[in-house]
Amino acid sequence: MAQDATGGTPVVEGLFAQTADGPRLLGSRCSGCGTPYFPRASVCNHPECPGGTLESAAFGPAGTLWSWAVQNYPPPPPARYDEPYSPYTLGLVDLAEGLRVLARLRSADPARLRAGMAVSLVLAPLCRDASRGELLTWQFEPA
Amino acid sequence: MRDVVVLGAGMHPWGKFESKSVTALCRDAVSAALADAGVAWREVEAVAAASSRFSGGKGWGLSGNDVVEDLGSTGVPVYNLSAGCAAGGNAFAIGRLLVASGAHDLVVVVGGEKLPKGFIQTSGVEDLNDPEYLRQLCVGMPGPAFWAFLARRRMEEHGTTERDFAAVAVKAHQVGKHNPNARFRKEFTLEEVLASPLVADPLHLYEICPVSDGAAAVVLASAERARRHTSRPIRVAASAVATARFGDGIPRGLASVVPDGPTLHSEAARAVREALETAGVGPRDVDLVELQDNTVYYELAFPEEWGLVEPGESERMVAAGETLPTGRLPINPSGGFLCFGEATTAQGLFQICELTAQLRGECGPRQVPDARIGLAQTLGLGGNGTAVVLSR
Repeated sequence: MAQDATGGTPVVEGLFAQTADGPRLLGSRCSGCGTPYFPRASVCNHPECPGGTLESAAFGPAGTLWSWAVQNYPPPPPARYDEPYSPYTLGLVDLAEGLRVLARLRSADPARLRAGMAVSLVLAPLCRDASRGELLTWQFEPA
Repeated sequence: MRDVVVLGAGMHPWGKFESKSVTALCRDAVSAALADAGVAWREVEAVAAASSRFSGGKGWGLSGNDVVEDLGSTGVPVYNLSAGCAAGGNAFAIGRLLVASGAHDLVVVVGGEKLPKGFIQTSGVEDLNDPEYLRQLCVGMPGPAFWAFLARRRMEEHGTTERDFAAVAVKAHQVGKHNPNARFRKEFTLEEVLASPLVADPLHLYEICPVSDGAAAVVLASAERARRHTSRPIRVAASAVATARFGDGIPRGLASVVPDGPTLHSEAARAVREALETAGVGPRDVDLVELQDNTVYYELAFPEEWGLVEPGESERMVAAGETLPTGRLPINPSGGFLCFGEATTAQGLFQICELTAQLRGECGPRQVPDARIGLAQTLGLGGNGTAVVLSR
């Protein structure tokens, strides 16, 4: 299993963090109805919410794979990748906290993926940026 | 509310027309619809236009104003409606309301589009508050990958195979080759579909729709006004618009909540169910369906989600030829998006043109025998769903 990358710069600040317990996604949870949000939200969109405030919440690392796709051609901007392009796998992952999250999958042979398999959150390189160096993003890998 | 009829329908063929403006495409479509209706432009009392963010003389999505200026500025009210790929269905709903309410007797609804090359890029703003920008920057998930997620999930849930998906593309071209307004009019074998490039595994190139240029228009009239022109009117039995329900499981940004029930495009399901209910039509009464097949997946999933067929039944129906024009539930006898390609805002209106032609019995080799009730559906960015039921 690959280690979490320790160097590098988040591709966007405030979306994830390395904590003492491992990597987490940074989002919100509604105090009124419990609905989880990623990224952080300032209002609850649940139409039946009795009313509440949104509090900071951290999500992950455990999830199950809902579905996946292989991105076989270089995506248009603003997507980032290292040249030469090599296809990557995308996943939709259901977290125990009730969030379905989009992410890249790493260290995963697409032929061995199955819906419902256990995956784990990692912070891993997205690409190398000429001025900012290695950029990190949230990804999942088989647990 | 008054009864409303489709008095005329007209299209510019779908394709790539580099030397022609989108206004010129719309002029051809509206002129054809007016000629079909037997009315003159100066008689039209209002215009509802599916507004585009991709093309048009003024930009800003003032598509209807471009059309009115081009055909002759009569001073009529223009409504520019934006709903992504559902804009055509959305404009149709407003056009119908304008007539049904009694505000106008004769209304033109038009949609036209010229799209840039390549797969549709939904955003374009560099703003971290824009979920689409954030999604592409941090993860990189173009539209076809979104469709591939849904297709893969169906394979896991229902045992759908790559050959099942390919069979839908084969069927689309089998009927679409007979449509002079379709862009791709060539038959493919199952093997040719499966040998086309894997764009976003598990979906192949021939299983997803490319972008196109095209335009379509209809003339709507009150039933009373229509009596001057025809004794066989095509009735608008229902026209519904809906948006997505919270928690339907379709991830429209970086994340959604895990749904309580099945994952489905709730905006499409709600619009279709509401349209059928308003029309007083049961699932077994529908003679043909024009649905939004951006990918073969939708042609299998949508009829089940809408209660037209039993869950898990779609693959067998396609294999048995039951979705052909001569089958039990003909789906996309026009050839659908797979044969037309997507001229976003015009799609909902080419569907209405097809339903109108089918209900009149004008479709030759792709005619659904004795078609009386037709359903059309679109789905657009932002969680927009529309559905229309036409009857004769």
